[in-house]
Amino acid sequence: MASLFKDPNKLSAYRDRKFPGSQDEFEHALQTSMTVYVGNMSFYTTEEQVYELFTRAGEIKKIIMGLDKNTKTPCGFCFILYYSRDDAEDSVKYISGTILDDRPIRVDFDWGFQEGRQWGRGRSGGQVRDEYRTDYDPGRGGYGKLVQKELEAQRQLVDYGTGSLGSFQQFMPSHYGGRGGDHGHGGAHRQNNRDFNRKNTDYHRKRHRDDDRRPPPEKSRRFDNESRRPADHESRPEKNPRFRESGDSDEEDDDDRKRRP
Amino acid sequence: MSSWRALLLRIGDKCAEYGGSNDFKEHIEMCYTALLREIDHARDEILSLIVQCAEQLPHKIPFYATLVGLLNLESDEFAKQVVEDTQLYLQDALDSEDCDKIRILMRFSTALICSKVLQPASLVVLFETFLSSAATTVDEETGNPSWQPRADFYVTCILSCLPWGGAELIEQVPEEIERVMVGIEAYLSIRKHVYDTGFSVFDFDDESDKSLDVKDFLEDLWDRIKVLSNNGWKVDSVPRPHLSFEAQLVSGTSYDFGPISCPEQPEPPSTLSGIACGKQKHEAELKYPRRIRRLNIFPANKLEDIQPIDRFIVEEYLLDVLLFFNGCRKECATYMVGLPVPFRYEYLMAETVFSQLLLLPQPRFKPIYYTLVIIDLCKALPGAFPAVVAAAVRALFDRISELDMECRIRLILWFSHHLSNFQFFWPWEEWAYVLDLPKWAPQRVFVQEVLEREVRLSYWDKIKQSIENASELESLLPPKIGYNFKYTVEAGGERTEEQLLSVDLGSMVKGRVMAREVISWIDEKIIPVHGLKIALEVTVQTLLDIGSKSFTHLITVLERYGQVISKLCPDQDKQVMLIEEVSSYWKNSSQMTAITIDRMMGYRLLSNLAIVSWVFSPANIEQFHTSDRPWEILRNAVNKTYNRISDLRKEILSLKKSVLSAEFSTKKAQEELEAAETKLTLLDGEPVLGDNPVRMNRLKLQTEKTKEEEVSVRDSFEAKEALLARAISENEALFISLYKSFSDVLKERLPPASIDGNVRSLHYDQIDTMAVDSEEPSAMEVDRDNGRPKKSRVNGARLSNGYSLGEKEQWCLSTLGYVKTFSRQYATEIWTHMERLDAEVFTEDVHPLFRKVVYNGLRRQIQEV
Repeated sequence: MASLFKDPNKLSAYRDRKFPGSQDEFEHALQTSMTVYVGNMSFYTTEEQVYELFTRAGEIKKIIMGLDKNTKTPCGFCFILYYSRDDAEDSVKYISGTILDDRPIRVDFDWGFQEGRQWGRGRSGGQVRDEYRTDYDPGRGGYGKLVQKELEAQRQLVDYGTGSLGSFQQFMPSHYGGRGGDHGHGGAHRQNNRDFNRKNTDYHRKRHRDDDRRPPPEKSRRFDNESRRPADHESRPEKNPRFRESGDSDEEDDDDRKRRP
Repeated sequence: MSSWRALLLRIGDKCAEYGGSNDFKEHIEMCYTALLREIDHARDEILSLIVQCAEQLPHKIPFYATLVGLLNLESDEFAKQVVEDTQLYLQDALDSEDCDKIRILMRFSTALICSKVLQPASLVVLFETFLSSAATTVDEETGNPSWQPRADFYVTCILSCLPWGGAELIEQVPEEIERVMVGIEAYLSIRKHVYDTGFSVFDFDDESDKSLDVKDFLEDLWDRIKVLSNNGWKVDSVPRPHLSFEAQLVSGTSYDFGPISCPEQPEPPSTLSGIACGKQKHEAELKYPRRIRRLNIFPANKLEDIQPIDRFIVEEYLLDVLLFFNGCRKECATYMVGLPVPFRYEYLMAETVFSQLLLLPQPRFKPIYYTLVIIDLCKALPGAFPAVVAAAVRALFDRISELDMECRIRLILWFSHHLSNFQFFWPWEEWAYVLDLPKWAPQRVFVQEVLEREVRLSYWDKIKQSIENASELESLLPPKIGYNFKYTVEAGGERTEEQLLSVDLGSMVKGRVMAREVISWIDEKIIPVHGLKIALEVTVQTLLDIGSKSFTHLITVLERYGQVISKLCPDQDKQVMLIEEVSSYWKNSSQMTAITIDRMMGYRLLSNLAIVSWVFSPANIEQFHTSDRPWEILRNAVNKTYNRISDLRKEILSLKKSVLSAEFSTKKAQEELEAAETKLTLLDGEPVLGDNPVRMNRLKLQTEKTKEEEVSVRDSFEAKEALLARAISENEALFISLYKSFSDVLKERLPPASIDGNVRSLHYDQIDTMAVDSEEPSAMEVDRDNGRPKKSRVNGARLSNGYSLGEKEQWCLSTLGYVKTFSRQYATEIWTHMERLDAEVFTEDVHPLFRKVVYNGLRRQIQEV
């Protein structure tokens, strides 16, 4: 509405370097996309939390959690697919910058999910931004990966012994660091209490993270549809309509013909 | 030095562009100087930006009009062009029925009179055009009174102009304005008072004896304007920058509008049946909706002490900022808190934002927008606004039992979301007393549902921690662990046959056995031995358990093994059993129950009719007044059906365009081909019929191709139309089933109606005798007795905690509240099926109270019956 202050064509400052096309095509994809990218999430935020919040902008078709490519656990981002462009726009307008799970999240248009994009692109498996961070962020695994490594190296130089220093250790950054289990759970960790609670008692509201028993469902099968037709699947008629129209499965083929004569 | 663009945009704001100055005269001089420098080479750009600014920043219209007036002194053509453009845009807006544009361009025109650019007579002509259109519309004989909403809108527009130029108009054309005022008074006397019982946030307000005196929106505005006129048209909230430049402005040339006309009346329905008129009226109300329904939640001593008209103007400002800055968080909050008025207005602002959040039938934007606005206002005014928001919450909470059901849901969703943005901090101890209330008490249900939503947005332990100062409220938290698997296998324990089957199925799924094979395994191994019921239970429970990890796990299981479920549950009865299993597996998680049912409906494993049937099963009926759980599921089901229809309508609209353009291409190709065929070409020196063969060939191919395309587009258009027809008939079936179910359960529980057709029902304690108003007209009699709990307000004083409704009465009120909610929200769809609904559901033996509530929701005249 307020065309005076905002350039409606400027949708995202972020240019995905993995996008297979020109700048124009990238922008067109963003303009028509019904997918949003959510960033700066806590590693502990569940799909159900995401669902509860984002469904307030419109009916959700799919949620794809971003996963650490080594540990296969959430690493702080996700994609949300809506059924309509309006709903996607509203989620960008109204949810970006608000709080989810105590963190201000970022919501941007995304050019469309493709198989493979759910994995973190950082060297250590998570998101690139978590490689070099120097701040301590308990919702995202503590320090950045590089800092963690450094702290780990330092820790090996100094032998604190065990047990008696337990209460002291909780203030040692290196112990918060490896959320991936490399440091064990350390029940005394203040920041991890919440996660610890959730882990033990809240199994069903839980995340993939401690999902050792049940690995995440096979992505390759789930996203067949998308991966077969890259780039333009967003502008296409919904593959997964709000309703399956039983008995008229050729409906979508019809659309195919129409859209690409 | 800032650019003229920035100066124009920022004029009247306290901002860097103007060096933080608050002196409006200085702003105008600075901006004017900048514009003057550019006017010769950027005339068109300036013109278009000024008009855009006026349209999108309407609270600053006086500044823009003054600038036009000043430019008028330098360049005749410029102001003339502004007047012509304004007239053109206004005519367009009238023809396309764009309410916001009409309203704002009228205001701009008024301001142009103040700056001596527009002739006052032009505006008077415009007012009279509007008035005569309005008067014709409401005329019973020659007009079409169903379209009164449009007539009211026109008159509202006239009245809304007056604060911006009443003083000038009275001074320059006193007689004409007097005539317009008389005309408005005459219009007010022939139009019908608008009773939209059923669209008020508080049920109490319009059900009570008070509602008779309550002015409708237009009457209220008329009163405010009368006060304004008696005050000599002095308004605090409208800046009058033109006054500083009066001496210069008078020497400018003023221009006239060309003629402007209101669109013709829509034809009244050919048969003046109640349904046909009702449909037209509904259509008119959709086209000319109410922008605001004032919410009076703060005590008078809290509200800023301002003139009646100032309240209206500040509301207009705020609503326009909300409208034009939707999506620009920073500017929206800045403009909301920085209106050009000389008084504080936090309480008024809160009432206005809440009135939008709770606006019935729909807010202008999704409720989540207002959540964001409230968050941003709390941040913009950290010292003042959070306390005002808290006061609003308390005020609404105190009256929650009078609050419309839809509004209660919106309030729950808003409040939980709001708190999630502020560390879930709330003085819960204030509300700990709700535990002493019965479990159906609206305040208790409200607390319970807010906590439920908080847990969904966060997690159980966190929310438990957040209510530490009222730890007894913990008993209202939802259970911590959501799932409830029937066939959990204990290590080492004996296994039942069902458990063994479940384990087998689990390993089949793990082994990626095809759905087909699972189906035959069930057909061969389970059904013959254990029967269908066990087969269904084991299969559904096991699949749900496998999909219980997350939303995505659920989808994956349903995508892969949905066929298994659909084979087991082919009809409505089985589908009800299926929902029963879902509900039992997820009995401790309302969210997962709702999501699972929603997804199953998406995969067409469940029909919406099965969902309705399950919602109205005895176990759920018992929860109608104590929990949102069944309602959430019902809302989702109706909403999904409706969304599907809207999607299809949109697709059909765009396909229609494609068909037209395809037809056009075919025709063009055909013509080109024909032209080429009849052309004489020299071939080997001989003239032959037809163009050269290469071109002919190309054209033929072209023609064939366009024809094919046309056929293909047309096919998909027809396919979609067929789908839409089916979706609409599904919707019809849904509403018939929904209303029948409502009617049946209510009939069983509502006290019988008395013989004279009045509803002597749901009468409550002593208050009723006190509330009797002997002068009520008969038309309102039905309203009077619908039995809203009158106990909460005795002689104007509220007994805040004195909840005394019996369970059955509350059940009836809650259920009726939902009847109204569904009717109101889906009124457009329901009206299209009204004939059938009248024949099958709203028959003579339907309970009068039920009928009344449905009709209120649809804004249907009760007298027709």
